[in-house]
Amino acid sequence: MTTDLTQLLLNGLSIGAVYALFALGYTLVFSVLGVINFAHGAVFTLGAYFTFLLIGGSVGANGLLAGFQLPFAMPFWWALPLAGMAAAAVALVIERIAFRPLRDRGADPLLALITSLGAGVVLVNLIQLLVGAESYAIPTTALADLPPAIKLLGAQVRTVQLLLLLVAAVLLVILSLWIDGSRSGKALRAVAEDPTTAQLLGIPSARMIQIAFGLSGFLAGIAGGLVGLSVSIAGPYFGIGYGLKGLGVLVLGGLGSVPGAVLGGLIIGLAEACVPAELSGYRDVVAYGFLFVVLLVRPQGLLGRVMPTKV
Amino acid sequence: MDATLLTQMVIGALLGLSVYLPLRCGQLSLATPGFYAIGGTLAALLSTRVNALGGSDPLYPIGSVLLEMTLAGLLCGVLASGIGAVVLRLRGVYLAIATIALVEILRVATLNQEAMGGAVGIFGIPQPFDDPAGYAVFTLVLLALVCWLCDRLERNRLGRAMAAIRDDELAAACQGIDTERTKLVAFVLSAVVAGLTGVISAHFLNSWNARLGNFDASITTLAFVVFGGSRTWAGPVLGGLALTALPELLRPIGDLRLIVFGLVILAGPLLLPQGLINPALLGWLKGLLPQPPSTTASGEGQR
Amino acid sequence: MNTPLLALEQLTVRYGGITALRTISLQVQSGELVALLGANGAGKSTTLRAISQLVPAASGSIRWHGGTINGLAPERTVKLGISHCPEGRRVLARQSVVDNLELGAWLRRDQAGVRSDLERCYGLFPRLAERREQLAGSLSGGEQQMLAIARSLMARPTLLMLDEPSLGLAPKLVAEVMEALQALHRDGLTMLLVEQNANAALAIADRAYVLVSGSIEQQGSAAALRHDERIKAAYLGP
Repeated sequence: MTTDLTQLLLNGLSIGAVYALFALGYTLVFSVLGVINFAHGAVFTLGAYFTFLLIGGSVGANGLLAGFQLPFAMPFWWALPLAGMAAAAVALVIERIAFRPLRDRGADPLLALITSLGAGVVLVNLIQLLVGAESYAIPTTALADLPPAIKLLGAQVRTVQLLLLLVAAVLLVILSLWIDGSRSGKALRAVAEDPTTAQLLGIPSARMIQIAFGLSGFLAGIAGGLVGLSVSIAGPYFGIGYGLKGLGVLVLGGLGSVPGAVLGGLIIGLAEACVPAELSGYRDVVAYGFLFVVLLVRPQGLLGRVMPTKV
Repeated sequence: MDATLLTQMVIGALLGLSVYLPLRCGQLSLATPGFYAIGGTLAALLSTRVNALGGSDPLYPIGSVLLEMTLAGLLCGVLASGIGAVVLRLRGVYLAIATIALVEILRVATLNQEAMGGAVGIFGIPQPFDDPAGYAVFTLVLLALVCWLCDRLERNRLGRAMAAIRDDELAAACQGIDTERTKLVAFVLSAVVAGLTGVISAHFLNSWNARLGNFDASITTLAFVVFGGSRTWAGPVLGGLALTALPELLRPIGDLRLIVFGLVILAGPLLLPQGLINPALLGWLKGLLPQPPSTTASGEGQR
Repeated sequence: MNTPLLALEQLTVRYGGITALRTISLQVQSGELVALLGANGAGKSTTLRAISQLVPAASGSIRWHGGTINGLAPERTVKLGISHCPEGRRVLARQSVVDNLELGAWLRRDQAGVRSDLERCYGLFPRLAERREQLAGSLSGGEQQMLAIARSLMARPTLLMLDEPSLGLAPKLVAEVMEALQALHRDGLTMLLVEQNANAALAIADRAYVLVSGSIEQQGSAAALRHDERIKAAYLGP
């Protein structure tokens, strides 16, 4: 295989893997609640900042926390899962504040689009207030002894990208096994398919919804940390772009479908990598173009099921 | 009141009405900022590139603004009838996502077209008024017209068809309502209102760039409607006025203002699930008026 | 008389402005098979939904072993021993037969007991055993009904509530389902059976209530109701 092609594939797959992690979070919440969590992008952003702080990064000069640094620093491999957990905690708070009150009241689920967006706006601006709008880079030295690039199939590839792909793949496999094979995974699917029946079986849907939010936040936090490492944290708003593209991935794969989110992420990642440099301005359109075509041709997505009309 | 702020608020109210129109027949479309951007870009291009319109006059002729509005209304209307015929087959959150995608595609395309101002935008858009009060009056007149239209819509046959679709599309179709056409009319009207608003907005802002019609705008305009209430046109108007004024009024608290804005959007649906203008409030207002009991109460059984 | 296992006292349920149940009272004694009969829309399903707390009671009380259970979360009623087999089967179409059954035992922690109950269900409905790895959505209507009943049994309930188990089934399958219910009754399971098929229900029930537009119109032993002229005319056909 030629160097260019290997690099291209790896670029596409690694960014696609991030999209997949991101879209999985959307999918988990969508499958149990039937709504989109517009605060998801903000949770992703937080994951990146958490990772940055945990590896010992210090805040720039522009926020309330100017110059702040945690009293300890940890290797990236500890920081990433911890940041994921912190992001999961934030996602749980969002569920508690922006989703549960509406559900308890039996309000129109579409209202959750607005409340979650409000939560996202609060989070993003809180980040800006605390740490400023500047971009932060997670130094690759956080990876300690790993070389910055290695030879793979005769090509020089960035280690970071390989790691990104690897971490995403491991998480995706674990998640799929959990959902398909474990008792609680099956209960989550039961709530997703028919919340009323799940309740009649004694499955506490409120707790399963929390689990979905927690997992979704964890995945978003990890994705944020990984992107922070491979590219950089481009400021408090950088999750929004991913959030919108994630919608494309979500629809492409099929709303509520786990394998669909993975496939959708990889397809859009690869397609974006194939956009030639002179048209790079249009790269962001790829996801939306896919989304649009899929919606019109096959609204249930590639791996989605035809949604029965709710009676 | 500050005429500049008032104009911004009225523009917010107009955009709220644009989101409200499809929502009246149950269609959650977030395409408003897209058509707003089309109107704005068209006005910016025409007034800065076509000298015959009077761009170099000391005051840009109102007639030219009206011409731009006519063209923008036509363009948005035609585009919307084409796009609507396709996307309105989608339902609920799918329609919302498709319209978000449309807006994003349009934004990226504009960003990449130097002719449309590219990433920098178009500057020096000529001014038809030498005083912000002129804009305030102009936009208020436009708002009054659109409100009148919406009020008619809530009372006439088409409006009742829209409400029937909102309540139950299948049942509406069974009653012989042409649901496809009714939804399309609402979508086209929404696009035209957004396009007209874009034209006057471009002049008012003096410069125009692609970022004015992005995803944030989609959701903010939806927030206008949710916040104000979507049962009657007064809801989005009030929501648009209030939520546009809020960040400006909060300017003194500096960096905190967007956080407070977010909190308001978050708390609005939680505290007032039906918006500010809700059946309870309308019922209460009716009680205040010394008139015989009306038979058109919309909030029956909703408390 | 003993405290009934389940007692509804003056229960009223409203949907929006519509009163679905008007001050109904009924009891189910331990070990009984009680049928709840009535036409479409009479409030039979609403009664079951109120008992399992899927819809709130507007007034009146629902007593379980004498204690009121109004306002509990639906999943808590399962923990109390009330298993509700809903109308229209509602199997989890995208999961296998065995997964459906195991989810029915969600609240139980005794793995050995769950295993043996699984075998008992397969004994009761041998067709399910043959299709245990199949997706529930691919089963026939009758098989789905059997699965739904078996799934409700997996919770090892004290009271099994069944909503229209014969709906949409061929006569032969109706007989098969009713036989299974009769067998469960003989083993001592308490049941509340909602049926439009009054013939089939009265054949196996001990007692029955007749609901007419949200109120209890008649009640009595199944044997007596079978011979009641009004019931015959309204529900049993010539």
